Amino acid sequence: MSDFSNTLSTLILLSAVLLMACKRTKSYIKSFRLQSFLIALAAGVMGTGNMLKDGQFELIVVCLITIILKVILIPNILIKTEAKVEHKVEKDFILNIPILVIICCVLIVFIYASISNIEGLNEGSVNLQMVNSISIILIGLLFMISRKKAIGQIIGFLVIENGLFVTAMFVTNGMPFVVDMGILIDLLTAVIIMGVMVFKINDKFDSINIDKLRNLKG
Amino acid sequence: MRSLVYISVQLSVILLVAPLVNGIIGKVKALSQKRKGAPFLQMYFDILKLLKKNSVVSDTSSWVFKAAPYIFFSSATAAALLVPVSTTIMLQGLPGDAIMLISVFALGRFFMMAAALDTGSTFGGMGSSREAMISSLIEPSILVSIFTIGLICKSTSLPKIMIAMMGFGFPLANSVFILTFFALLIIIIAETSRIPVDDPSTHLELTMVHEAMLLEYSGRHLALMEYGAAVKQLVFITLLVNVLIPTDQLISIAGVGAVAISLVFYLIKVIFISLLIAVIEVNTVKYRVFSIPNLAALAFILAFIGFLQYFVFGGIYV
Amino acid sequence: MAINLASNLFQTSILLYILAAVLALVLIKRDKLCNIVSNIICIAAAVSGVAASIVKILFVSNTVNIDVYNSVIPFVSIDIKLDNLSAFFMLTLSVLVVCVSIYSIGYISQYIGKRNVGLFYFLYSTFILSMVLVFTSSNAMFFYMSWEAMSLLSYFLVIFESEQEENRKAGVLYIVMTHIATAFLLSGFMIIYHYTKSFDIFGSSAAIPEFAKNVVFIMFLIGFGTKAGIIPFHIWLPRAHPAAPSNVSALMSGIMIKTAIYGLLRFVLCYLGVESTWWGITILLIGIISAVLGVAYAFVESNIKKLLAYSSIENIGIIFIGLGVGFIAYAQNNYMVSALAISACLFHCFNHTLFKGSMFLSAGSIHYSTHTKNMDELGGLIKNMPVTALFVLCGALSISAIVPFNGFISEWLTYQSLFASIIYEQADINILSILAVAALAIAGALALASAVKLFGISFSGKPRSEHALDVKEVPCLMNIGTGILAALCLLVGLFPMLILKLIDGPVLSLTGTSIFEQLEGGFIIAYMPMSVSGNSISPLALIIALAAIIFIALLIIRVIGGKYIERKYGTWDCGFEALNSRMQYTATGFSKPIKIVFKIMFRPSREIHITGSQRYHPETIEYALSSESLIEKYFYDPFYEKITKYSRKIKYTIQTGNIRIYLLYIFLAIVILMAYIMFA
Repeated sequence: MSDFSNTLSTLILLSAVLLMACKRTKSYIKSFRLQSFLIALAAGVMGTGNMLKDGQFELIVVCLITIILKVILIPNILIKTEAKVEHKVEKDFILNIPILVIICCVLIVFIYASISNIEGLNEGSVNLQMVNSISIILIGLLFMISRKKAIGQIIGFLVIENGLFVTAMFVTNGMPFVVDMGILIDLLTAVIIMGVMVFKINDKFDSINIDKLRNLKG
Repeated sequence: MRSLVYISVQLSVILLVAPLVNGIIGKVKALSQKRKGAPFLQMYFDILKLLKKNSVVSDTSSWVFKAAPYIFFSSATAAALLVPVSTTIMLQGLPGDAIMLISVFALGRFFMMAAALDTGSTFGGMGSSREAMISSLIEPSILVSIFTIGLICKSTSLPKIMIAMMGFGFPLANSVFILTFFALLIIIIAETSRIPVDDPSTHLELTMVHEAMLLEYSGRHLALMEYGAAVKQLVFITLLVNVLIPTDQLISIAGVGAVAISLVFYLIKVIFISLLIAVIEVNTVKYRVFSIPNLAALAFILAFIGFLQYFVFGGIYV
Repeated sequence: MAINLASNLFQTSILLYILAAVLALVLIKRDKLCNIVSNIICIAAAVSGVAASIVKILFVSNTVNIDVYNSVIPFVSIDIKLDNLSAFFMLTLSVLVVCVSIYSIGYISQYIGKRNVGLFYFLYSTFILSMVLVFTSSNAMFFYMSWEAMSLLSYFLVIFESEQEENRKAGVLYIVMTHIATAFLLSGFMIIYHYTKSFDIFGSSAAIPEFAKNVVFIMFLIGFGTKAGIIPFHIWLPRAHPAAPSNVSALMSGIMIKTAIYGLLRFVLCYLGVESTWWGITILLIGIISAVLGVAYAFVESNIKKLLAYSSIENIGIIFIGLGVGFIAYAQNNYMVSALAISACLFHCFNHTLFKGSMFLSAGSIHYSTHTKNMDELGGLIKNMPVTALFVLCGALSISAIVPFNGFISEWLTYQSLFASIIYEQADINILSILAVAALAIAGALALASAVKLFGISFSGKPRSEHALDVKEVPCLMNIGTGILAALCLLVGLFPMLILKLIDGPVLSLTGTSIFEQLEGGFIIAYMPMSVSGNSISPLALIIALAAIIFIALLIIRVIGGKYIERKYGTWDCGFEALNSRMQYTATGFSKPIKIVFKIMFRPSREIHITGSQRYHPETIEYALSSESLIEKYFYDPFYEKITKYSRKIKYTIQTGNIRIYLLYIFLAIVILMAYIMFA
């Protein structure tokens, strides 16, 4: 079983790197969907294990809600938003893809180096999942930095939240139920508001390239 | 004596199955386009037809042009001797390990590129220069993946790796091997010139890499080059399936029966990977030549994270 | 008995080199005779050098001592000792000198009557002699003097064709950088002397404290590294090696940059003793960077000799990778891996001498026939120069590390040493080792591409300019010289055990472990790693397999397809019919994709000038493509500007031209010295 969870955490890290390597908006929304699906799968597997052991079914509920929210609802909202917004064919990211991918790689090594000095966190399995999960958080942040369109920022934010959820789930077997629910509802609200904001930005500037927001200065 | 039998079984399996992979891929692509497509055995007929035709040789070219198909074909076949199709027939004939395998392929690639430049045509130069770019970007991923698997199995010799991998049961359940699997899949697509790296069925200069280098060949030279490319493809597929999806530990009998069952399993695995490659070919488009570094970077990072998972994060898989 | 034989052969060798130098001066008026005589004596000297080294390594276990001269000058004693490491490098040097001398008889014949051939041979023989002395001196001051002599003599050889501006500039850059490096070496020697009070290289370094050893290591790394041509100290190499005549380039690239490797092995491993792993890690990192950047710059060059010079930088990177792994393992007391890595390093030194020497000599042959070094002006040479083409093909296959040539064997050994070092688990070194594997892989693939480019564009296709039309094959002796090296490449690749036996001598004395006993067989090379079982390769079996398959394929094709009928026709031209040589790929075009992929490093820029009245029917189009060298722009140019600025300021303040001020300076100097004596 721990084998399986190791594989799943690696696959989730893989989907984060895949996200980074995508050039087009629709592809990275699809990658995000894949990542959320894998996280829901991991939650489901751990939840089933928990239920058979202690009878707690919280993780399974969280798994179902994740599927509904992050795999179905939120990507659909984002795709619809993206479809209605003005399409300009321009380069969406800074630098270029191979360099971003190599920076991800360097990040993972760096996180390993800094975590390996913390006592208690560096035995075997825990170490591996810790490094994978925290890498997802930082890769999400890097994604936010490297994309110019507003939809990229939203996805980056969602990936950060994914990373936090995965860290909590793998290392401590899930956050308290209320906290989980609160975060998920917050997320849904945030995405709806950000979607509306994207329309507003598009209205004002005729593009969702956030570099144009600098025109608001002074 | 025994090794002679083993060598002949190995060679005949690889030489006979190689064109079948191309046939399967072609048939799947045709069916997905609602055509009937060429028969499965089309490539065999093509090679026999080409062998009987005369050759037209350019007067700008030299002995390198005529020697290259033979060297390419023999390098691919010699590489086939290094990768066993089944661990029940272990080869003692040609000692060599995975690093030598890469170098043998490099021999074939060198002569293919040199022969392409030999004809003095623009297509040849173009094919060579693109092939130079693609192969140099893909090489690090190949070596890092081989090293990762070799380090886990504590050897770089392919028969020993295959035997050690049998002890893992179902390796693809481990995170390291899944990453290496995807990295090797991307490497196969790049090295055997499939979509999305190169389109093997068009002859447009926008989309040719491998075909551009073969453009001047005709007759038996073309037959040898095509056959050599098919053998190279099968050797890569054998490397992938026999190392990462080992099935020989399920065989409980011994002797000739074990060899037969093992070969049947091998065929099923090869057909599975051919279908996978065909599905990938049908669903993606050929990338822009300068988007290929993205794919190569992805392959490298897959292989590298695979290495990190095992060696740096915690050696929990001994 | 054997020790006397070795000692006599060695002394004969040195005396013959001195004789060659003297005779070159004596016969300075008679070019033809000087040409033949000097070369024959150099060949004889080199043959006895080969014999001396082989006898020493195989039969003599002690160091061969030739105590020539203990002079009155306090620190200088001309101590010459021949131990296993020196003998191995002597062997490499001598093999190269034999072939280069045979080649020179033909090559220098183009200078007879036009330049001072006698002077050339004087410089040539003393240059080789200085390198022999560098390899065998056992006194640090004598080593330093030989090193300086080597640098100075090679400077004169580099600017031998001094009427071209770029040769002079290359020479100046070379001598300045080499002297700065030698200054670092001198400081290292001074620090050693300060603690041990002796210049004996074979003495003990126990008296030197830890931090001083670290400082000395850095000094030696910079000093020897500049001579080797590691990045970022490499900028002299691609200018100096093409500027020299081709036989001198072969010597410089073949063996002079290996004196740096000898220096590092002798002084750092043997004398100082490697205790900390950061030494090895630095060397490994430098090796990785040099390998990748060297070959990347090699690939985009169109000048044959510059391409080969950058390729030398790449190979030095590979040698440094082996050296770094060896040092790391040595510091961790893992002597087995260390011995393997240092064997890989030494073997690659030997192989590089062979194939780079052969390639530079072939480049000289091409220049002899076509009077150009630019690949964009060549093409189609294979029709008129088939023998040279065959040797270039052998060299190109060796550079690309292709079985069964020798480049593959040393790269395989380097890969195996990296493999063995990763098993010994340590996280940060593991990451560096796997990056070294990736760097070796990409360097190997790009080296293959550069080799194909060199062979394909120079020899294949149609001639691209009048330089390449109507060429004649070069004189027979030049081909013999190149041919011996090319044949050795193939032989060493097929039978590597012979050279490994010779390498085992130095490795045994350096690390105390013998690799040769672990390797089995006469025709099969097998290596036993620590854990399970052996990984074996056999190049001879592969070449037999290749030949057998080709034979069987020919038979079957003859049976199925009938007799081989061929029809000659023009290259397929899409119906255009006016296919000319300008439509082929050029060297610049061949490397364009890589230039664009790595455009962060190359920063290509292009200018297009179109003349003509309408945009779509231009009369002429001019296209210029240039790339800038990053290291020069960001590392050297600011440095250079600052130094010239301050020098100018100082020049105008201190050197005023007023005699009284100068007398005042002398007065102040005496006063300060007196004050020092008073207070010290």
